[in-house]
Amino acid sequence: MKYILLSLLLFSNTLWAFDAADLKKVKEDGDCPMCDLSGADLRGLDLSMSDFSDANLSHANLANTLAHKADFSNADLSDTNLSKSNIKGAYFVKATLLHTNLSEARIWKGDFSYAHIDQCNFNESALGSAIFDHNNLNNSSFKGAILYKTIFRKKVLGIPK
Amino acid sequence: MKSVLLLILCTLAVFANTLTFEHDFTQAQKKAKQEHKQVMMMYSAVWCPECNYMKEVVFKNQDVVSYIQKHYVVLTLDVQKDTLPEGFDYPGIPVFFFLDDKAKEKNKIIGGSKANIFLQKLKGLK
Repeated sequence: MKYILLSLLLFSNTLWAFDAADLKKVKEDGDCPMCDLSGADLRGLDLSMSDFSDANLSHANLANTLAHKADFSNADLSDTNLSKSNIKGAYFVKATLLHTNLSEARIWKGDFSYAHIDQCNFNESALGSAIFDHNNLNNSSFKGAILYKTIFRKKVLGIPK
Repeated sequence: MKSVLLLILCTLAVFANTLTFEHDFTQAQKKAKQEHKQVMMMYSAVWCPECNYMKEVVFKNQDVVSYIQKHYVVLTLDVQKDTLPEGFDYPGIPVFFFLDDKAKEKNKIIGGSKANIFLQKLKGLK
C-alpha cells in the first residue's frame, strides 16, 4: 500500500514538473520563451512584457499576477489559473486554453486570435477591446464579463451576448 | 411657449443625471470646498479602452451618478496633457484618487470595473 501511494505521489509530481532552471529564469529575467513552467507557482509576480511564447504553463498558477502585454503566443495554458490577473494587452495568439481559469482577470485589449479555447472560465473578466478571431467560444463561460467594444472578427463561434 | 418650457425642463432633467467633469485641480478643490464634498480625481487617457468604458458606461449608470454627485466633485486629468500634482503616484490607468481637505491622497481605486462593483468600492471608502 505504501509503495502504491509513493508511486502515485512520484507520478503526480512528474506530471506537471516544471524545470527549476526555467522558474529561476522567470523570476530573474521575466522572459522565458519555450520554457517548461508546468505546475509552477507564479502567483502575484510582476511579469509585465514577459515573453512566454511556446512555453508550457499548463497547471501553472498565475493568479493575481501582473502581466501587461505579456506574450503567451503558442503557449500551453491548459488548466492554468489566471484568475484576478492583470493581463491587459496580453498576446494569446495560437495559445491553447483548455479549462483555463480567467475569472475576474483584467484582459483589456487581449488578443486571442487563433487560440484554441475550450471550457474556459471568463466569468466577471474584463474583455473590453479584446480580440477574438477564429475561436470556438461555445463551451466557455462569460457570465458577468465586460464585453465593451470587444472585437469578434472572423469565424468566432458562440459569441457571448 | 409650453413646448419651449418642456424642452428646457427635459434638458435640465437630462443634465441633472449626468456627471460634470472639472479639468483644473485648483478649481476642483475650490468647488469641492464650496459644496462640502471631496474631489475624485480620475487620471486617464483617450486611447485607454478601460478609461472610456468608465466614462461612457459606468459614469452613466444612474446609481453611480447619484452617489458621485452627492459626495464628490469629479476632476479628470489626461496622462498625455496633465502632470499629476506632487505626491500622487499611479501604477496604471485608469486610476481614481480621492482627496482630503488639504488636497492630499486619502484613498485610491486602481482600474475600472462594472458599475455595481465600482459603486461598492466607492461606498467602501466612506
